[in-house]
Amino acid sequence: MEYFIDAAYESLNHYGEELCGDKVEFVRTDKFFLAVLADGLGSGVKANILSTLTSKIIATMMSSGAEITEVVETIASTLPVCSERGLAYSTFSIIKVDHSGHVYTVEFDNPELVYFHNNILSEIPRKTVEIGGKNMFISEFEAENNDMLVVFSDGVVHAGVGRLLDLGWQYDNIVSYIAENIEPDMSPRVLTRKLLGAVNTLYMQKPGDDSTVCSFRLKPNRPATVMVGPPVNADMDKLVVNKLMYSRGIKVVCGGSTSQIVSRVTGKELTVSIDYDNPAIPPTATIPGIDLVTEGVLTLGKCLDIIRSHSQSDADKWDTFSLDKKDGATRLAKVLLEECTEVHFLVGRALNPAHQNPGMPVSLGLKLNLINDLAAELEKTGKKVTVEYF
Amino acid sequence: MVVVQVCVGSSCHMKGSYQVIKTFTQLIQVNELEDVVTLKASFCMGRCLTGISVMVNDTPVDNVGFANADQIFYEHILPLAQKEKCGEEA
Repeated sequence: MEYFIDAAYESLNHYGEELCGDKVEFVRTDKFFLAVLADGLGSGVKANILSTLTSKIIATMMSSGAEITEVVETIASTLPVCSERGLAYSTFSIIKVDHSGHVYTVEFDNPELVYFHNNILSEIPRKTVEIGGKNMFISEFEAENNDMLVVFSDGVVHAGVGRLLDLGWQYDNIVSYIAENIEPDMSPRVLTRKLLGAVNTLYMQKPGDDSTVCSFRLKPNRPATVMVGPPVNADMDKLVVNKLMYSRGIKVVCGGSTSQIVSRVTGKELTVSIDYDNPAIPPTATIPGIDLVTEGVLTLGKCLDIIRSHSQSDADKWDTFSLDKKDGATRLAKVLLEECTEVHFLVGRALNPAHQNPGMPVSLGLKLNLINDLAAELEKTGKKVTVEYF
Repeated sequence: MVVVQVCVGSSCHMKGSYQVIKTFTQLIQVNELEDVVTLKASFCMGRCLTGISVMVNDTPVDNVGFANADQIFYEHILPLAQKEKCGEEA
């Protein structure tokens, strides 16, 4: 099976600091997914520079095929030496997952990563390797569908130290907290927020160290293709519709005129529903062979609002039920957020004369912005998004 | 059968298609015309600049708004529907 790696991370900054000393870097390629969590020495600007350099160097070198020994050598000779402490230092965890499910990890001085197989805490085989005079844990194993990996910085381990808890939260307690709270199908984002929420509470909203949680879950790969807007050149209609029809996975059409084009090219009838599930959002329609047909700009705008409010809400307020409404915008948000693992937008840039009236809240320029915003927002949730213009 | 299509595309939606559909649905019920009038929604009809686009038996009706929806119904839809009804009975 080909896997998609659903990934999410979030950080809490050291109290009073504007910059975070932890840095997470994700790289997605056609062959693998790579994540690097680096924790720079200290906090603030200095730590931020150390961790940014470390994570960026690792991510860039590893994704172009470099060996771990070369990477460590490069980091050791690149990092600036701290004037106070006389050493250059940043811990890191590297997690590389192939689309076949093969996992390769390298851990250096970060809390050990936690692996859940079938939502049950499982051991991973680690061997100690000395590279450049430093001891690292390297492990390789095969992960399966729905397996989850969680990695965090030492700020999480020290949560509450000296205030609520004498010794901090401690590694074993964190692992059992995750084990107690993990649920089947829980998304990495929800788990990350939950864990970090607990950390923030233990620190009494004043984190004494940068704390970062990063989690991953393996899912079967399921792409979605979204056609939005008619192509500028009408000769391209057929090509774009064929691209949509021959795509794998979920097929979505957004836009009144666009759905008429799809209906005409495929010869399948377009039926517009007369039922408004929400008077503010135009009704949806159906075309045989297409999973979702909606109106264009207004639905997309509303969908963006929904996705934004989902990304911004707190872990406690996070409820998936709000994605169960039947209006076009919510259904689109559900497809994009939950059902698919990567999104491909086919964007037509033809001008709709109807949108040139002052009553319209969005013009064509805004519509293209809307799609860019939507793409950026989806990328934040860890999905691979591509946009193609016609 | 009288077929009435109301546009629910972006532009017409902004102008109030929802209200027009609601008004038409009510008037069809009040006048007991469910058997002779089919109300349908449609995406953009390409007539965005002339108010909420409405088609009655493939004839476009211009300048429909939620304010005059009932008037439009009595002027353009009811006569056709009644003719249809009489035809059925005869």
